[in-house]
Amino acid sequence: MSASQKAVRPLARYIRSTQSSCQSAGAFRTFSSSVRLNVEAVAEPTAEKPKYDPETVTSIKGEKALMRSGIVPIGSRRRRAAIKSSDNLPFEQLPYLCFQEALKVLREDREEELKLIATERLRISNVQSRDVSTFRGGQLEKETKLASMRRYLEWLKIQADINDPLIKKRFEDGEGDMSKPIYRYLADRKWREYQRKIIVQRIEQFGVVPDFLPHFEPTADVHLAFKSRTVQPGEYIDSRVSEVAPRLKVQVFDKGERLVTVVVMDGDVPDVEKDGFATRCHFLATDIPLSPTDTSVPLSKLTNEQVILPWMPPFAQKGSPYHRLAAFVIEQQPGVKIASNYQAKDVRRESFVLRAFIQKERAKAIGFNMFRAEWDEGTAGVMERAGIEGADIEFKRKRVVALKPKQKPRGWEARHSGGKYKSLQR
Amino acid sequence: MASQTHASIRTMISPLLASFRSLSLTSNSTIPRALPIPSFTRSWTTTMMRSFSTTPSLALRGGGRAKKNPKSGRKGPVKDPRITLIRYHMQHPLTPRPLRFSRMRALRHWTIHRAWMLARRKKLEAEERELYRMYQSMHSACEELRLLDAPGTKDAGRLYRIAMEKKGIFGHGGVPIEYARMQTDTPGAEAWNHGWTR
Repeated sequence: MSASQKAVRPLARYIRSTQSSCQSAGAFRTFSSSVRLNVEAVAEPTAEKPKYDPETVTSIKGEKALMRSGIVPIGSRRRRAAIKSSDNLPFEQLPYLCFQEALKVLREDREEELKLIATERLRISNVQSRDVSTFRGGQLEKETKLASMRRYLEWLKIQADINDPLIKKRFEDGEGDMSKPIYRYLADRKWREYQRKIIVQRIEQFGVVPDFLPHFEPTADVHLAFKSRTVQPGEYIDSRVSEVAPRLKVQVFDKGERLVTVVVMDGDVPDVEKDGFATRCHFLATDIPLSPTDTSVPLSKLTNEQVILPWMPPFAQKGSPYHRLAAFVIEQQPGVKIASNYQAKDVRRESFVLRAFIQKERAKAIGFNMFRAEWDEGTAGVMERAGIEGADIEFKRKRVVALKPKQKPRGWEARHSGGKYKSLQR
Repeated sequence: MASQTHASIRTMISPLLASFRSLSLTSNSTIPRALPIPSFTRSWTTTMMRSFSTTPSLALRGGGRAKKNPKSGRKGPVKDPRITLIRYHMQHPLTPRPLRFSRMRALRHWTIHRAWMLARRKKLEAEERELYRMYQSMHSACEELRLLDAPGTKDAGRLYRIAMEKKGIFGHGGVPIEYARMQTDTPGAEAWNHGWTR
């Protein structure tokens, strides 16, 4: 701190403290703040116990007092000072002419959309109450018609809210209510802009589609985290980190509750006899309820009924190439619980076939995330603690001996192989 | 709004400020150079002007003193030549400055933009609907004319035929587009039909 700042400090502190005290005394602010500010500062220069607002505190003293009481001041000091001096008008009442006109236009449009929604609801109920025999195509036509009308209704609901600036703001702040269609729509759009592209790229890069599943279109956002360590898709994870079961955050973007199965499997288990690779299931749990608002799936906190195969720490023996650990979220048939079909002793971890499981349960894979495992210095300990044998195995490539004997250089090469032609040789 | 408070602070402390200013002025003018001037008097006024700014002032870079810029001759910090070059190549005085908004301002901008797009779309759609309606009503009127008289009567469909005429719609003495010859690379076999009458 320079000498000038040092000299200025007491005065600045004085200014700040008077400001804050009068601010705390008069919580309400009017347009002409300057006059009131002075009057109050004169009238009661020191309040007995100044109460500090974390939104508007600017004095160091006030900040410290707040911090001591366990409340962290919000935003920067500059921002707080700006908020303090503003009139705190709600966003939609800001006195800008064009903005107000724009809001008027948007409100009118919303009214129209709401009318359309009411009409569509009425139409849907009319179609529902109509007898099946009045449709030329019978039950099928009725259902198709209803489905398309409902789709249109959902679209209308989104259109009614998509122009609302406050909804946009709330979504950007992460305060969107996922039970509402508009926030789900916005979240889906945001996910598809970047995160989904990464997941799709990983699916292509790591050959997930031919190796694990025949075809796969992810529709749910899956985040993977070991304790506090979040996993980027396809990252190498230390074996000591992945020793405990991860947490999944699964965000689905369509409404309603559903049951899902979570499978974590290793796709690169070396198989020496076959001279190839096999799969191994590291985790299997079924009947996990999931909805757009209820997104957290901690794998270590699932109930015993749900978990069929508990977490087995991923490991890669020395010399084997990296192992792809893929976590799939699979949506089960609606309302069908399948945990009772599987007992831990029936399901083998080794050579677990995901496509067979999906085909048998007529389920659909909706979410995917993955990480990679390699041999590292902690793997042996992890295997020992988990009671897995084979930490001392090291895989080595078989040396392939060439069938043709090595040939001596002939012709031009033999003639020019002497020291005289060193400059010609590479 | 922030400036209001700023102003209010300044009114509050203006006597103080004035005293400090006078002090600094008098010290500069009267006290001889040999006496060490307290350094805060120099930068005092500038610091007070920017009471909210927490960033260190640029003037402090060159040993706490604004150097004289050797090239332009104006006072101010010496700019990094790399920055100057980047500015020179990236920006042009004719290029409008980039639109940088605060969060709420951007949100207001977005609101206005959405409303404008919505209003424009609605206007376009209304225009199209109106045109379509007009065309439909003309069409139905012509249909009425066509079916006015029973077939076989004298002057059956006369009004319809008159309505279908295109006299004058391509300007006074103009020729309907249907009678125009297609543009070709070579002249026609008969260059001009002199015997043509309407």
